[in-house]
Amino acid sequence: MTAVRLWKWPLVLAVLTVFGLLAALLGQDAIWWVASWATLAAPLAVIVLCVLRS
Amino acid sequence: MSTKSLKVWYRVHKWTSLVCTLFLLLLCLTGLPLIFEDEINVWTGATVEPNEAAPGAPVVSIDRFIEDARRRLPDDTVTFVSRDRDSPAWFVGMAKTMTAPEPTAVFKYDAHTGTMIHDIPQRQGLMFTIRALHVDLFAGLPGTLFIGAVGLCFLASMVSGIVLYAPFMRKLNFGTVRAAKAPRARWLDLHNLLGIATAAWLLVVAVTGTINTLTLPLLGLWQGTELADMTKAWRGQPPPSTLSSAQRAAETARVAVPDMDVAFLGFPGGLFSTPHHYMVFMRGDTTLTSRLLKPVMIDAETGALTDSRTLPWYLTAILLAQPLHFGDYGGMPLKIIWALFDLVAIVVLGSGLYLWLARRRTPIESHIAEIERLTS
Repeated sequence: MTAVRLWKWPLVLAVLTVFGLLAALLGQDAIWWVASWATLAAPLAVIVLCVLRS
Repeated sequence: MSTKSLKVWYRVHKWTSLVCTLFLLLLCLTGLPLIFEDEINVWTGATVEPNEAAPGAPVVSIDRFIEDARRRLPDDTVTFVSRDRDSPAWFVGMAKTMTAPEPTAVFKYDAHTGTMIHDIPQRQGLMFTIRALHVDLFAGLPGTLFIGAVGLCFLASMVSGIVLYAPFMRKLNFGTVRAAKAPRARWLDLHNLLGIATAAWLLVVAVTGTINTLTLPLLGLWQGTELADMTKAWRGQPPPSTLSSAQRAAETARVAVPDMDVAFLGFPGGLFSTPHHYMVFMRGDTTLTSRLLKPVMIDAETGALTDSRTLPWYLTAILLAQPLHFGDYGGMPLKIIWALFDLVAIVVLGSGLYLWLARRRTPIESHIAEIERLTS
């Protein structure tokens, strides 16, 4: 359980980042660019939320 | 994790980080304006764009640009012609000799009017200085390879940092920043949060940056192996006395690879070609295929198609690494996100440096004791 608690959010953010990096490169339509921006912004948004919460 | 393993990982993280932090700070600081290089060049007038043309307007022959460039610098030689990715413009590169490492001039032409619209300054200006600091520290290939070594060091630092994240966070929830604690605890939490949240981006940019530093050696490998094999029939023959039309070479390449268009045309005897051939690099029209080049060899004397093959995997890897390092493939929002990640990376580096400075008088045993306290 500790491993899940420790790595759940880092893994989610890593998956979102990799998806975002590839979406804009491989996607053919504008929707993929928007998906890329949204998923790549997720780690940055999480950082802001955590800092504001502290 | 045993205390012994922790000590090893801690030492790996400390020393790999210390070795590369100052260089990484330089790379992050210089990388920030480079993300917006195109926009900065337009704002400062360092880039001149061609006038808008009506859809379907005819384009001028490449040969006309080349003739004009030769008239401007009659003592120099044309080494390459390339097409702008984003606007209807062509570039003609000139050098003192075909093997000269640096061009003497690069002229930009309006593809529709054939007018020379910009004599691009070479090796001068603020953006050139920033790029040189980022790419080779003004030291050429040795400088580039040194930056590649810094990239490898950073990868070791990242991996060890991710390993150490677990024991440090075992008793804390994800994203905890202990604001009420001493500054060192607060900065340690921030270092951990920022580092782990951006770890995937940092790893991708570090790996792709390191791959990019190998461009010249791998280009040399291709020339010495596959390209040499493609041109063995011409080995020992004198270079052509007169060159056939570059425009015709481009048209032949378009017929050979109909789903792609000309990106770059290397002249015979240059870095990207052979003494007997034009090397036409073709690119596709999607975000991905516009980054992947396919070389087409054209006999520079007869203008006939010689060969066309896909690039080897290691050069394809370099071409794929470029957008993933530059962040220039998803419009302005992606560039802004790239810049924000870059700023976060600067904070991660700065906080790491601060944490080391704040504890450098403390023996490693007390560091380990702290980790053990966290893991117990």
